[in-house]
Amino acid sequence: MDIILGYVTTILVFFFTYNIFTLGLNIQFGYTGILNFTVITFMAIGGYVAAVLAMPKAPAGSGIYYILGLNLPWPIAALGGVLAAGLLGYLIGQIALKRLRSDYLAIVTLATGTLLYGLIGNGTSIFDGWQGLFNVPQPFAGFRTWTPLGYSIFFTIVTAVIFVFLWLFANRIYKSPLGRVMRAVRDDQDVVEAFGKNTFKIRMTAMVLGSMYVGVGGVLTIAYITALSPAGWTTGETFVVWAALLVGGRGNNFGAIVGSFLVAVVFNEATRYLPQIPAHPNLIPDIRYVLIGLAVILSVYFRPQGVFPEKKNTFFEVPLGDNSKTIEEHLAGGLSKVGEQ
Amino acid sequence: MSLFFLTLGFGLVTASVLSLLSVGLSLQFGVTNFVNFAYGSYLSAGMLFTWTFSAKLHFPFVLATVCGVILTAILALIVNEVVFEPFAKRRKSIFYMLIVTFGLSLLLDSILQIFYGVGFDKFPIKQSAAIKIGPFDFTGVQLLIILVAVVSMVVIHLLLTRTSLGKKMRAMSDNPDLAKISGIDTKSVTRATWAISGALAGLGGVVLALNTVYFETTTGDSLLFVIFAAVILGGIGQTYGAMLGALVIGVVTEVSAVWVSSAYKTDVAFLILVIMLLVRPQGIIASQGKA
Repeated sequence: MDIILGYVTTILVFFFTYNIFTLGLNIQFGYTGILNFTVITFMAIGGYVAAVLAMPKAPAGSGIYYILGLNLPWPIAALGGVLAAGLLGYLIGQIALKRLRSDYLAIVTLATGTLLYGLIGNGTSIFDGWQGLFNVPQPFAGFRTWTPLGYSIFFTIVTAVIFVFLWLFANRIYKSPLGRVMRAVRDDQDVVEAFGKNTFKIRMTAMVLGSMYVGVGGVLTIAYITALSPAGWTTGETFVVWAALLVGGRGNNFGAIVGSFLVAVVFNEATRYLPQIPAHPNLIPDIRYVLIGLAVILSVYFRPQGVFPEKKNTFFEVPLGDNSKTIEEHLAGGLSKVGEQ
Repeated sequence: MSLFFLTLGFGLVTASVLSLLSVGLSLQFGVTNFVNFAYGSYLSAGMLFTWTFSAKLHFPFVLATVCGVILTAILALIVNEVVFEPFAKRRKSIFYMLIVTFGLSLLLDSILQIFYGVGFDKFPIKQSAAIKIGPFDFTGVQLLIILVAVVSMVVIHLLLTRTSLGKKMRAMSDNPDLAKISGIDTKSVTRATWAISGALAGLGGVVLALNTVYFETTTGDSLLFVIFAAVILGGIGQTYGAMLGALVIGVVTEVSAVWVSSAYKTDVAFLILVIMLLVRPQGIIASQGKA
């Protein structure tokens, strides 16, 4: 029973963190139309920075090296991780969001991802190279003496609470004037510019906010599994997040949840139980990526709006030639107001 | 000083490899107007196909290369027919095209990995001794790479300026709608462009593998953004710009080894890309409306 519960809690943490990644990408791509092809790098940076802030100094002579090691309490470390992810988003935005076509941004994100992957992997003194960090202190560990299962359940609840908060916040942004102008930028940047809006600032806001969301997911990931090596954040992982968003429905946060569930949990976990073929240990992950790639291409072709499409705005309309009532009376009579969902 | 000339020589070889690859990417971008993120997979495919022909089927190396290049061109054609053509018909926005090519790179890489497995391969050819030309030291293979690249660039130049296909490609690159109403069969030009782009990717992949000696399925992807850097440096969609960009990126990344560790070669390429995007995003040779 304990084993099943432990498994379920792990899946749930996995599900919630992927949801948070997908929400972050949704703010960037779904709301604002920013192509971020290195989502998982923000997760890594968020996680790594939070880890080195929380960990004590690397013991000398142990062959383990990492920067900082400030031994800070976990809330500050977590905040640092999220801010670091946001800062990386800001830097990439500074390079690529100014007056450039969307493919340049896609190239810069992909290039940054490849570059950081190589730098962190080869630069053993930053985050211990290909080995990655391990023994990252668990938050809440000092609260009381936890049984491993009790801790997992508690952590799942914490992750769920953070997810719900972020979900509500993302929905709030969607409905806010900022969210409206973000979607306008996505649909036609030139028109928004003609209306005198600073599109660079709007896209930058979305970029940084989305990066910070992904950073939160990264902090939670590293805090739960207490280790992270570069093998855990390859380009394929970014694509799982993209697949989740596109299958679920871009622009729609509910779709993002469904997509995360379908792709990150059902799909990833189901293929885990395919029989292993000893001669080809990589066959199953490869088939998984082939299927995820196919799912994305097919869903973009057949149903680009996703399983749960974004709701169209409805605007009130006074029936032509109907002068019997004033506009106010029409509004009172149940016609929806401007800008409401 | 000898180190400088040594790295400059390496730079010319790298520039030759890059020129094939960046011209292939740039030609295709000019005609179809979207960036192909699966290009790295094409060049991995080129080197792996050639490896199959030469190491498994024991073809002479030149014949194996020809077969590998043709197969890569066919792969690019099939991908265009099966994936891009249906999307183009539906007039999908550039967002979706980019996502599709990104997904395709994952798909193709994984398929290649299923067939070829992980781990490094190497062509069954002998390394030749160094030949001294002026201040440079080249191996026979390196001279061959430079020769292949120069010949290919001349062929591409003649193709673009002297043949009707080349003129049609330039017309489509300038204005696809105008080209279409002028009676150019844009579909077949697009097909020809994909075949050329695939062939150049395949050939570039083979010479890259010759240059690095050892290669694996992800070698192509790890070079992808260096190719992008060369293409953007020259001006995206500009064929001659791509050649120039390849020369600059190739030489600068290799010569930088005089001052910084050669492990940071790709980081130097990234730095050039960033500076270029900040200072002159339209590239050295700018094309209107493409930046």
